[in-house]
Order: sequence, then structure tokens, then C-alpha cells
Amino acid sequence: MRWWDFKEKSIKYILFIAAIFATITVIFIIGFLFAEGFPAFREVGIGTLVAGPEWVPTGVPERYGGLPLVIGTLLVTGGAVLICGPLGVACALFLSQIAPPRARFVLKPAVELLAAIPSVVYGFFGLSIMARWIKVAFDIPTGETWLNGSILLGIMALPTVVSVSEEALTAVPREFKEASLAVGANKWQTIRSIILPGALSGITAAIVLGLGRAIGETMAVMMATGNAPIIPKPVWNIFSPIRTITGTLGTEMGEVPLGSIHYHSLFALAVILFGVVIIINFIATWILGYIRKKQYGEAGKKGRFRVSLSHEVIRSIKRVLSYTLGFFLLTFLYFALGIIAVGGAILVYLTYRWVSPRLSRKRSQGIAFKALWASGIATIIILGVLLTFIIARGAPAISWDFLTKSPRDSGREGGIFPAIIGTLYLVAGAIGVALPIGIGAAIYLNEYAREGRITKLIRMGVDALNGTPSVVFGLFGMAFFVLYLQFGRSLIAGQLTLGLMILPTIVRTTEESLKFVPMTLREGSLALGATQWQTVRRVVLPPSLPGIITGSILAIGRAAGETAPIIFTAAVFITRFLPDSVFDPVMALPYHLFSLAVGVPNSETNAYGTAVVLLTVVLLINLGAIIIRSRYYRERL
Amino acid sequence: METGAKLNVDRLNVFYGDNHAIIDASMKMPQYRVTALIGPSGCGKSTFIRCLNRMNDVIEECRVDGAVYLDGVDIYAKDTDVVQLRKRVGMVFQKPNPFPKSIYENIAYGPQVHGMKKGKELDEIVEMSLRQAALWEEVKDRLDDSAMGLSGGQQQRLCIARCLAINPEVVLMDEPCSALDPIATAKIEDLIDQLKKEYTVVIVTHNMQQAARVSDYTGYFYLGKLIEFGNTKQIFENPREESTENYITGRFG
Repeated sequence: MRWWDFKEKSIKYILFIAAIFATITVIFIIGFLFAEGFPAFREVGIGTLVAGPEWVPTGVPERYGGLPLVIGTLLVTGGAVLICGPLGVACALFLSQIAPPRARFVLKPAVELLAAIPSVVYGFFGLSIMARWIKVAFDIPTGETWLNGSILLGIMALPTVVSVSEEALTAVPREFKEASLAVGANKWQTIRSIILPGALSGITAAIVLGLGRAIGETMAVMMATGNAPIIPKPVWNIFSPIRTITGTLGTEMGEVPLGSIHYHSLFALAVILFGVVIIINFIATWILGYIRKKQYGEAGKKGRFRVSLSHEVIRSIKRVLSYTLGFFLLTFLYFALGIIAVGGAILVYLTYRWVSPRLSRKRSQGIAFKALWASGIATIIILGVLLTFIIARGAPAISWDFLTKSPRDSGREGGIFPAIIGTLYLVAGAIGVALPIGIGAAIYLNEYAREGRITKLIRMGVDALNGTPSVVFGLFGMAFFVLYLQFGRSLIAGQLTLGLMILPTIVRTTEESLKFVPMTLREGSLALGATQWQTVRRVVLPPSLPGIITGSILAIGRAAGETAPIIFTAAVFITRFLPDSVFDPVMALPYHLFSLAVGVPNSETNAYGTAVVLLTVVLLINLGAIIIRSRYYRERL
Repeated sequence: METGAKLNVDRLNVFYGDNHAIIDASMKMPQYRVTALIGPSGCGKSTFIRCLNRMNDVIEECRVDGAVYLDGVDIYAKDTDVVQLRKRVGMVFQKPNPFPKSIYENIAYGPQVHGMKKGKELDEIVEMSLRQAALWEEVKDRLDDSAMGLSGGQQQRLCIARCLAINPEVVLMDEPCSALDPIATAKIEDLIDQLKKEYTVVIVTHNMQQAARVSDYTGYFYLGKLIEFGNTKQIFENPREESTENYITGRFG
């Protein structure tokens, strides 16, 4: 008996350590960013860093005014959310409510593929293809603009919005839908007045997560927006080049002298970026918590699924929504973008209000369904265009030598073998770090912990880590692993940094799928005298495995394609050798593509080739995982 | 009472947050007999039965005061091993809750978590439990099929078999027939009659005829209080309390 108890207890403690890990990491990140950023706050001043009008770090005298970067970040992200929010929610509605099986069968993998495409490939597409289209279409001097960046970011954030919203929509109990249909509502009325409100918290979460993805994105904006630190004139000029905070960090961190004011200023910018993201996330979490509390009642926090859509609840949801809207409105108004965004939204809303009562419900269902179909088709077309152009231009570069030889002539000639291997090492290490910790943390949170201060602290840590922009991870990895622990620019520093970055994805998706396992199964097992751990291992984990695998797929795809976290921690442009130990630097596919596209003229062929290989690697990883998952489903159900 | 009390509940109080769900309930459930708990919805009978193997521990905001003696030992004492308790006091739930595993694995699960290895002995336990639950003839050729493919009634008998496989002393049943059709219900009721030869059975039911048919003793709950407890025959034919009579004669509930 003693041994039994001891085992159960030690498992619980191990899981607890895994769970608190994220929080500790966040504290470390904040600590290191502050320590490195502090001299700049003292010398330059926080006012200048946030609101100074000019950013000229190499000028005489040097000027570190961050306003153009802050505005650039808000504009690009705002534009992206305007694209991915409506399109994503429509797509999710289409998938979860009206898509015939065959359409689902095409669209679902398409969305997964969009999520899997690395940001550097998006950036490359934006830089070398879309920028040209924009330039020609609007007859402007350069296509590398705010518009270009927003479209790219919108597409990149789309899968997040779609998948999270779809999950929320599917989770609305069927009974509600049936009850609504049973009183004679048609499908669209049911969707609009029952299913959408029921999934509101999830959809809000989806859009906020999309926003988080967009605001922290580095590579794509760095490559596609022209990277000029100017405020658009006038401020709604979507054809102006623009530069974001992340873009600045990515561009300048590599060349800055260690310890200079410029170096510290970049860390100070990272602190500001981190702060903004954390604040957005906490507001979002608070909204979500509020909606959930109202919707499910205090008692329904765990396990028991209680939903009552009383009038009061709907009213409070509306109230929360109006607060949210108010918040975003203020932000946007402050930065003058509001005029377009709000004007457009109001116009759409008024049109809708004017049109909808004048249509028969059959007509309005017809129009709505057509719009949902269109959003689904649009998503597939976007993916198709992306893949077709890159593959068509990159395929001629692919040869046996390209895959198995080292690069020559700054990558214009030769192959990319060391980069392929380097990427595989990086991903394997990152998953090796993140998977056990992430799954352990999720199990602790969902199966062991009683909701209280500790779980709140842990969840805050995971949320903060999840919102942390990838480039901030890069800076932290550089400050902590490379410089402080003196790993140097090395494979292990990159693996650890990537591992920290994908940790929250794994925690979240695992916890979601654990929640999906009905409470009655746990009770069934516990009632047979199984211990907590036996119940977790044998009853709770097996049915949630497909969900956990899906989460890991997303994480792997992200780790393989991420560039920003490895630029300063692990990657080098050219080395002819594979790493001998984990303390050697490596080449990596995404960084190689970035370097060719941005830094090496006349290397288009090999750049496209690298993009194709990177795409193939990432897509193969995904395909493999999807196959595993579907086989698993077949076996179990 | 002709046999000793297997379970003895002494002044039990249960709170869900601020809600006082069970108020000062005391009763003795005799060994090898079927005790039925009846009462209108929300009267606390399910909460009560879940106290008998401490399933309420799973629910966060639930607090239990008082004592429940199993063979004279308080299961709410500090040093109680909940895992061992649940091995001795098995439970069948309202809705059938088979694990998404094969029929065989469902039954084998209990013995396995208590340390039994795969082999002949386990096969025998599986067969015996399924026979006891009157399910063996229907499933013996497809033990490796998923349990999710069984009908509702079969699933519930599977859950009973799963409970019997760990050889408990007490079997708790929380409205085991509420999700079943009359034919499946009749089968489960026959089964309960068989079970009391070897087990002490406590059953929560919504259905008074069922309580009258299967039980030896009956407790009537109303608004969290145990109003009346006694011999089933007496409760149904000659209730002492007016509230009991009203419920049994169908004036409310």
C-alpha cells in the first residue's frame, strides 16, 4: 500500500513540476528581457522608445524613437484581423454546419496545410510573387507594403481562427440545435441565434489567438512590408511601406554590436512588444473567463457541462462583446485606422440590418449559405495559388545533388543537405523537450489540480508563453542560452528555444482533448477502484490521443518552419559540415531560404528550390501524423 | 433486521457550495438485501448513493459531513484508502458508460488495475462476470468488438459485469434503467434479483414499481431529507408519513 501511495504521489509531483515549468519560463523571459533592456530605458527613456517620431539607430546622432514601429505593428495586425476574422469564422461555420462530407474532406486538410506552411515561405511568397502583383495591379512604385503584409498575415492567422472556431461550434450541444429546429427555425436561423451565441466564447478566443499569431509574426512581415520605419502618409495609405517591431528585431538584432545602446534598445522594444501582447492576452483571457462563468455557471467549471442560454446570459454576452468592441474601437480610433475599419463594419452591419428583415428567411438562408460556401472555396484557392506558384518555380531546381550536396557560391550553386539535416535535428530536439513537459502539464491541470490560485498561476504562465512572439523567444534564447549559459550559437540553444516556443501549443491542445473525455468514463474507472494515475493512463489518455497527436502536428509544423527563434540562437548561413555535437551551430532550411531571398542576389532558382524542400518536409511530417491519427480513429471507434 | 448491517449511514450531510443537498440522513443497509432509494427528482437520492463509495470526492465543490460505516469502519475516516473502498463498493451509473475499448477490455480493466496479468484466470473472470450479468450468450463471439457497438441495454449489463469483475461486496446502482427500454429493464431487474445472493445491493430508482419489485428495503427522500426508511412492503402498503404516501400514490413527483 505504501509503495502504491508513494508512486501516485510522485507522479503527481512530477506532473506539477511540468505544469509550473511554463510559468517559470515566463518569469525567466521577463527577467532577461528587462535586464538587457534596462540600460536603454535609462539612457533613451521609455517615452522616446514608445512615442519618439524617428527610428534611426545608425544616424548621427542615433535616434531610437519607436512610434513608427508601434504604429506599423498595429496597422499590419489590424488589417490582418480584418481579413482572417470574418473569413475564418465563415469558414468554420461552413465546415461545422453546412459542408457536405466531400467538401469537408478537401477543406479540412487545406486549412491544416495552410497552418503548416512556414512563415518564411509566406514571406518569400509575399516578397517575390505577391509584391509584384500588387505593384502591377495598383501601379505603385513598390509592392512591399502594408497591404502586402496584412494579406499575408491574414492568411497565416486564418487556420488558427478556423480550427479554434470550428471546435467551439462543434461543441455546442446537439440538443440545442435540435430544439431550435424542432420549433420550426430553419438552419440559418438556428446557426445565427443558437449556435453562434453558444460558441461565442470559443470564437472570441479564436480571433484573439489569430491576433496573437499575427502580432508576433516576424519573418513574413520582415520580408513583405518593405521594412521602412515610416508612418504611412496619410495614415490609412495601405500602399505605404511599413515596419513592425518584430521586423525591426529580426533585421537589426543580427548585426548589432553586443552591449551597445542599440542592442539594449532592441531588447527594450522586445519588452514593449511582450508587454503589449501580454496585456492583450490577459484582457482576452478575462473576457473568456467572464463569458464562461456566466454561460456555464460557477459549478460547471470542471467536468459537468451545464449550459443555460437564458435571456440574462445572452444579455451579458452582448455586454461583454460591446466592451470588447469598445476596447478595440478605442485602440483603432486612437491610431486613426478606426475610420475605415469601423466605417466598413457599420456599413456592413447597417446593410445587414436593412436587408435581413426585408428578405424571406429562405432567401436570407440562401444568401448566407452562399457566402459560407464562398469562404470555403476562397480558402482552398488561396492554398492552391500559394502551392502552385512556389512549386512550379522551385521544381526545376530539385535534383539528387540539390538534396545531398553542400551549398557553393553563397548558395547560388550546390545543394542544401546540411540545412535539411539541421532542421530535422532542431525539430526532434524541440519536440523531445516540449512533448513530455507539455503533456504532463496538461494532465496535471485537467486531472489532478483543483481550480485555485496555483492553477490560475500555471494557466497564466501557459497563456503568456503562448502569446509570446517568436522573435521574443529568439531574443530570450540568445540572451539566456547563447550568452548567459555560454552555449554559443548552437544546436542545443536552438532546440531549447524552439521547445519553449511550442510548449503552450502542446499544453493547450492536450488539455482540450482531455476535457473532451466524458466525466462518466473517469467515474466508471474510479468506481472500480482504479487509482488516479491508472484512470488517466488507461481510460483518459487513449481516447484523447488523436487530439494530442493533432496538437503535436501543429507544434511540429511550427517548429520546423520557424525562423525567428533560431536566427540568433542556432542557425548559420553556410557551413559545409554537419554538427559534431549539440554545441555546434547548424544550417536550417527556413533560415537558408530567408538568407537567399533577402541577402543573395541572383539566387532565385535555389531559393525556390529550398522553399519547395521546406514545404515538402513540413507537409510530409503533417501527412504522416494525419495518417496516424485517422488510423487511430478507425481502430477505436 | 435478520442479517447485520453492511452499510450504516450516520447523520450524513452533503453540501454543494451553499446548497445543503442531504440533511442529516441516517440508515442501515442490511447485507445480501436490496435497498431501494426513491423520491422525486432533485431530492438527493443520487447524491446520497454517491456518498457510499465517495464518488462525490470527484466533484470539486462538494463537502460531506457525518459518517458512513462499511462493516463497522467509517469510510470517511482520514486514513481511508479510497481506491480500496471503491474496490469493495462497486457502482453502476445512470447512463451506461462503457470505455471506448473492446468488450473484453472493458471487463478486464478492473482486475487489471488491481494487478492481475493477462491470462487464463483473467479470461475466466471476464466470462464469469459476463455470465453473471446475463450478457455472455449475446457477446461471447465478439469479445474483441468495441463496446460502443452494443445496444443501450447491453451496454448497461456490460457496465454491471465490469463492476462485478472486481468482486465487490456492495453494488451501488444509480438509476441503472433510466436510459433503457422495458425489455432491457426487465433483464436488469432479473439480474438484481440474482445479485443479492452474493452482494449487498443499493439501487436508486425513479420508478416506484421497480422499487416495489426488486427491493427488500426502501428509503424515501424528499428535499434532501430521508423521510422514511423501512421494509419495502411496509413502505408501499402502510407508509407512516403522509409525504411518503402522497409520493407513492402518485399525488406528486
